[in-house]
Amino acid sequence: MEQNTQQTVENEKKGLRKLFGKFHLETKELVLLWIFLGIFILMSIISPGRFLSVYNLQSMAYQFPEFGILALSMMVIIVTGGINLSITYSATLASILGAVVMVSMNKAGAPELASVLVGVFIIIVASLVTGAVNGLIVAHIGIVPMLATLGTMTLFEGISLNITKGGAISGFPNMFQWFGNSSIIGIPVPLFIFVLVIIATYFILQRSTFGAKVYMIGCNPTATRFSGINVKKTLFLLYVYSGLLTGLAGLVMASRYNSAKESYGYTYLLQSVSAAVLGGTDISGGFGKVFGTVISVLILQVISSGLNIFGVNRFITDVIMGMILILVLTINFINNKREEKALVTKKIVTA
Amino acid sequence: MNRILTTIRKSKEMNILLVLIVISIIISIFNGSFLTMGNLLDVVKSNIVLAIMSMGMLLVLLTGGIDVSIASVISAVTVVVGQFMVHVSSNIVLVFIVGVLAGSLMGLINGLLIAKLKIPPIVATLGTMSIIFGVVLYLTNGTWITGIPQNFIDFGRVTIGKFNVAGSDQPTGIPIQFLFLVLAAALTWFILKYTVIGRGIYAIGGNKESAERIGINSDNLTLFVYVYEGFLIGLAGVVHTSIMRQVDPNAFIGFELQVIAAVVLGGASVLGGYGSVFGTLVGVSLFCVINNGLILMHIPVYWQKIVVGVVLITSISVDVIQKRMQEKKNVRVDIDENIQRFARTSVSKEVKTQA
Repeated sequence: MEQNTQQTVENEKKGLRKLFGKFHLETKELVLLWIFLGIFILMSIISPGRFLSVYNLQSMAYQFPEFGILALSMMVIIVTGGINLSITYSATLASILGAVVMVSMNKAGAPELASVLVGVFIIIVASLVTGAVNGLIVAHIGIVPMLATLGTMTLFEGISLNITKGGAISGFPNMFQWFGNSSIIGIPVPLFIFVLVIIATYFILQRSTFGAKVYMIGCNPTATRFSGINVKKTLFLLYVYSGLLTGLAGLVMASRYNSAKESYGYTYLLQSVSAAVLGGTDISGGFGKVFGTVISVLILQVISSGLNIFGVNRFITDVIMGMILILVLTINFINNKREEKALVTKKIVTA
Repeated sequence: MNRILTTIRKSKEMNILLVLIVISIIISIFNGSFLTMGNLLDVVKSNIVLAIMSMGMLLVLLTGGIDVSIASVISAVTVVVGQFMVHVSSNIVLVFIVGVLAGSLMGLINGLLIAKLKIPPIVATLGTMSIIFGVVLYLTNGTWITGIPQNFIDFGRVTIGKFNVAGSDQPTGIPIQFLFLVLAAALTWFILKYTVIGRGIYAIGGNKESAERIGINSDNLTLFVYVYEGFLIGLAGVVHTSIMRQVDPNAFIGFELQVIAAVVLGGASVLGGYGSVFGTLVGVSLFCVINNGLILMHIPVYWQKIVVGVVLITSISVDVIQKRMQEKKNVRVDIDENIQRFARTSVSKEVKTQA
């Protein structure tokens, strides 16, 4: 009797999973989506005039893409069981290099479009190079990602400081502002870039054989190597991709702030780890969904904007963010325990 | 096997020491004032806090964990200590007790999250970092605490021994803060070398599961490690206040990565199970000497980060490559042995069949 009810419950669960499986949203992501909607509605009810205003929604839409792109560049690395501490300095180094060229071309009287195109090209190439440096050290030399990227983080910061001498580079052609401050049919360009990044990352990570290899490396690199997969090459390419994403984030940031400086976006570093982990990415690798990270970026943005509107002190916002992180992981822990127990009792019942 | 391990360990730390000596020689060739007593004392004094904290971080890394909240913990400790001195009492013993208690308490929170709730160390300490920094900056608004009582300032100026230093009229001595570093290093060394706790820490860092199988309580040990680390950070916080004679809540932003870098330079593995007090001290010295040397060699500040990054990457790369070569050698030995054994058994089988 008990077994029957259990089976029906399981069948129902399977049905649900099938239904949502179509959209590749698993239960964890679904829960996050509900939390996001809940917080959004709550904020809207508490302060309808200000939170739900067009102005606030638009300013949020300009704000979170740079954070979201960086969070995804962190998340793809965490999936392999690594971490990339160099993301923010890689972003700013790329944008500084692009900025230097762009500004000098602008001063030399080159046409705006040409200098912007060259600048963007250099930002992208530079970010690919920073990614390749990380990939070389992690995949080919074999240094633990945390240390390798700690080293490159200081290195990139040093190079950036050497170029800027501690100041900010400004004086871009006006056209460059397009990437951070304009909109296409009402959609801000940064958001547009972010959506493209989400789609690209989704297909690379969850829809391709390359992505399957990445998850396998995160689960067990040795077993992956023995099953005939080129772990070094996969890891290297993934770090290059992570670097490319930091370049896009750097592009958006430089354009939004209309200047380039090495410390821009530094606070995003640890926040992007939080976003990835909140989004269900396993810090020891092997699990993690693009949508989970994206939704948790949205949650974090809504909370911080909302609290800002309510006039909550910025530092208290930090405290709340930290508490949410720990709370979610505690809930995960309790859930895991309960599942384990359920598994044990199920075994006993079937036995 | 044990012998091989000890020789590797020795060579690893000796390598770092060698690098330290070579770099020191290079710097002193460029600038004679590097090897003067005055400069060396300055280097020591300005890095005592880093060194004490690296002892705690060493233990955490040994268990295979990591703590990114240390900067927030020490800034909280300095604020607590500063307020305590200004508003309650400036009795030096009491100040130390308050600082150490505050540090240990925050370490306990980290430890509970990691050991009992099984939250991965980097995530748990990321959370506490955000919380502690948030609370500290909210309560202090980032303002400095000045007006530290005179008796505490006097205590911070005490030196051991008196000797004349070239280039300065006033005789100086070893700063009293150095004593606390010696104390912290000796205590950590003793715990790691001669206690069951220390052996257990190496064991869970090497392989947690097998350590648990042989009866080591890894939860309690992990808890101990984070509390002990908090204790050392508390000590470092008081020492820092006695050196700076004021409290700046923002002084430590980004400090956690410096501490981790210094400990790793000293040969500790972030994967756990490997590292020593001696190596860490050498690593910290290397880190400080490089920074000091760059200043003495009049290299622009902007180059310092590049040099530190390059040194960090190359030193770890060399270590990893060396280890891989060693492993290759070991594998070859294993194969040779197996072939011999196979040959032996097949011979004996042949003998049997013949018989």
